[in-house]
Amino acid sequence: MMKITVCIGSSCHLKGSRAVVEGLQALIARNNLKDKIELAGTFCLGRCQTGVNVLVDDERFSVSPETVEEFFENTVLPRLG
Amino acid sequence: MRTNNLCADIGYMSINHAGESLCGDHVEMIETEDKPSTVIVLADGLGSGVKASILSTLTSKIISTMIAAGLRLEDCVETIAATLPVCSVRGVAYSTFTIIRIVNNRRAEIIQYDNPKVILLRGGENYEYPVTQLDIGGKHITRADIALQEGDIFIAMSDGVEHAGVGIRYNFGWKRSDIIEFMKTFIPVGFTAKTLTKILLDECDRLYDGQPGDDATVCTVKIRPRVQVNMMFGPPADRSDTNKMLSLFFSKEGKHIVCGGTTSTIAAEFLKKPLVPDLEYLDPEIPPTATVEGIDLVTEGVITVSRVLEYAKNYTGSNSDYEKWSCGQDGASKIARMLFEDATDIDFFVGRAVNPAHQNPNLPINFNIKMRLVEELSEQLKAMGKKVKVGYF
Repeated sequence: MMKITVCIGSSCHLKGSRAVVEGLQALIARNNLKDKIELAGTFCLGRCQTGVNVLVDDERFSVSPETVEEFFENTVLPRLG
Repeated sequence: MRTNNLCADIGYMSINHAGESLCGDHVEMIETEDKPSTVIVLADGLGSGVKASILSTLTSKIISTMIAAGLRLEDCVETIAATLPVCSVRGVAYSTFTIIRIVNNRRAEIIQYDNPKVILLRGGENYEYPVTQLDIGGKHITRADIALQEGDIFIAMSDGVEHAGVGIRYNFGWKRSDIIEFMKTFIPVGFTAKTLTKILLDECDRLYDGQPGDDATVCTVKIRPRVQVNMMFGPPADRSDTNKMLSLFFSKEGKHIVCGGTTSTIAAEFLKKPLVPDLEYLDPEIPPTATVEGIDLVTEGVITVSRVLEYAKNYTGSNSDYEKWSCGQDGASKIARMLFEDATDIDFFVGRAVNPAHQNPNLPINFNIKMRLVEELSEQLKAMGKKVKVGYF
């Protein structure tokens, strides 16, 4: 089970964490990956400059509402093997 | 005398006669601290517009000041009769009034001259309290003395409320019994006095088809127990104060709200419980809340509290937003309900730590904004009649 954690703190919220969360929810549903990916939220990770911060398991990535699909295809899908 | 745990939540508003910019009704309220009592006077001046406004303002100011000073009712009424300017058209000086005086949160004295009889809803049902009749200077006055019970709701109004809909929806306006039936349906919801007032006036405005034929004023008094709510916002400026701040906060009686990402993280660590953020956006602009066992509500900080401040400003004004926050499940609506509806006493624990990541000039969430938010919010809450304390760490 992979865990994707999206920062929903003040700064990331203003940079679009809601759109990132909804984008990931839609992509997970479309690819039938609800059994393989757990999506969660977290408050501030202390890296506001690089928001929206997203953790894939323990590794941190910067994602924006525009790049969420690219992030899903290039980072999330390959890691599922 | 022993004090009890009750207090009075008071809210009043008016709608004006169509085309008038001044209201001919006036509500005046005075609280005395030494012998705890509250005097509320609702006066309805003859006619509408400027003259009516002057009559009702004078009447309510004079009566509330004199009653609060402990003077006899007879003297108050005589003073009014001797003071009010006489209308040149009608040849009379005239303003009807309703006085509600709450003493020690134990008894209510209701004195009325010609206004619709104050409605008392007790246990959600209409309660017809006995009144005695007095004759003072040729004026027919009624008086009632009522022992208060928790949950009592008094609704005082000017006759413009009963006349709503005359000739439009009803032949003779809606009757007192119709108003009672209408208001009874909202009692179980737990709305505040101000919101109940707004609901009744909105209905009047609707019955008048948005063109009130008279000034209409409602004043609602809700007898309720005191409830303490504590709200923490921001980590302490000096990290070594963290334990002190948190143990003071959690030792407080009442409900606990924690706002801010870092703040809720340290609060969860202090309680040794997991912090579980939610991912549901119930309001698209407000970040999701989180759950920590032992804390009543955990939310994001500046964005959520800014919205609460917006709701507070609206509430102390026109209260047109109550439908949003009174049922919303987002963090801001939940804080608004806990602070505006549940709380009578509020303690703020404000941490002055500067979040370096927020000091970006492009972000509307910097330190100064946060401090302003707390100051403005506590001013608004005081205007709602709450006892507010703010402590900085």
